[in-house]
Amino acid sequence: MSPLQKIAVGFDGSGDAEAAVRWAFELARQVGADVVVVHAVGLLEYAANRGAAVELEQTVERLTREAGIDPARVHWHVGDGDPCSVLIRAVFAPVAADLLVVGSRGQGAHAGLLLGSTSHELAEHATVPVVIVPTGREGQ
Amino acid sequence: MLIVSGPTGGSEHDGGDHPERPARIAAVMAGVDDLHLGTDVQIVAPYVANPAQMARVHDTAYLDELAAFCQAGGGQLDPDTYASADSWSAARRAAGAGLAAVDALRQRDDGVAFVVARPPGHHALRDRAMGFCLLNNIAISAAALTANDERVLIVDWDVHHGNGTQAIFWDDPNVLYVSTHQWPLFPGSGTSQEIGGPRALGRTVNVPIPAGATGDVVRRAIDEVALPAIDDFDPTWVLISAGFDAHRADPLADLALSSGDFAELARMVAGFASRPGRLVLFLEGGYDLGALRMSVAATLGALLGDTYQPEDPTCGGPGAEMVDQARAERDGALQRAGPLAPSERRIR
Ligand SMILES: [Zn+2]
Repeated sequence: MSPLQKIAVGFDGSGDAEAAVRWAFELARQVGADVVVVHAVGLLEYAANRGAAVELEQTVERLTREAGIDPARVHWHVGDGDPCSVLIRAVFAPVAADLLVVGSRGQGAHAGLLLGSTSHELAEHATVPVVIVPTGREGQ
Repeated sequence: MLIVSGPTGGSEHDGGDHPERPARIAAVMAGVDDLHLGTDVQIVAPYVANPAQMARVHDTAYLDELAAFCQAGGGQLDPDTYASADSWSAARRAAGAGLAAVDALRQRDDGVAFVVARPPGHHALRDRAMGFCLLNNIAISAAALTANDERVLIVDWDVHHGNGTQAIFWDDPNVLYVSTHQWPLFPGSGTSQEIGGPRALGRTVNVPIPAGATGDVVRRAIDEVALPAIDDFDPTWVLISAGFDAHRADPLADLALSSGDFAELARMVAGFASRPGRLVLFLEGGYDLGALRMSVAATLGALLGDTYQPEDPTCGGPGAEMVDQARAERDGALQRAGPLAPSERRIR
């Protein structure tokens, strides 16, 4: 049995996040794992656009078709909070992931800066392995 | 006597088209003015929090990074949170405003203090900005008090859970953190089973309540879930994370409180103070300027014995069962933690 059973990948709709989702799908196909695509609803998204998560879910469905992964292996999870906290919580039930995947810039975070980098924060605080997918590296 | 520490943040730390905006301060001060307090209000200038004061609750590496980030011009820290070039000084003044309020009350031994400052603080973690917050203002004041052997009750009635404050005092037996908040909602923490760390079991009280809940539900939460912990703790100081975003007009959340409910809550919480001059309110959220102004006036009016009440308290919304469930879940978690949990004994 593969040690990887459930991969959680952060998704905010950005190009970096799409690259991370594609990478997670490819890994999942190879090892036979499930993927939970995780979206964090922050203060501003809750206030401004309560339909945003629905649109993002449709994007994930498209990415699922493009990747040729079994749709039954792909799950969608929306959590309240900032991207880093929501991904850290994805290690616990109900998601219970054993690997976390994010794009190199994370959800809406600043490139090249220690502060405000979701990927940096995750690497520091996560209790399972973290994969940071560099921008433009999907499919390589 | 009302002591206003500030106002600060009325022009700096400006994120443009962002709901946590400088105009909130003018709305709050308009609410203070609506009470026509005359000589019963004293304005106190905020301090600038110094590194030692901030380091009681924040990692110095984080403080250094935040200062450098602002000095480089600032930007987005996460999808919700921004910093501008002047945010570092604004944040230190907001934190220092709390410290100045505490000192002013200590000197007078009387009155109520209101910290009129932004950016807000209760989401800020030890090592991270979050949820519009850079420095945890109320935590910096609470830590200054516990360093002086005080026992500090923090009541957080902001509509969001104060995850930063909870985390900072998670294992501190000298701070009792009580929060009521909409559930589910950002930041996603604050279940009733979060009761504190091993040295401080029971020193965290969370009562999640559902969208649509009215003021009677929040009062029930304090009465039925928090009161036993507060009685046991016997605080010497009471600090309030006074967010007003649980108001029914607020655009960031969906509770159904009126300004009159904040007046009722303020009266309840003021009763937990050991004596006059030991109650400080810290501005947290509240993003509808009209509701913010009314709620501030109603809250302060109630504390000063004024009859100002622009809106009646509300009742009849959902959530009573959720409060009862929170009490049962908390009791269960406390029992599992053991009958001789350290926090069940008073720590002097
Ligand atoms: Zn709030």
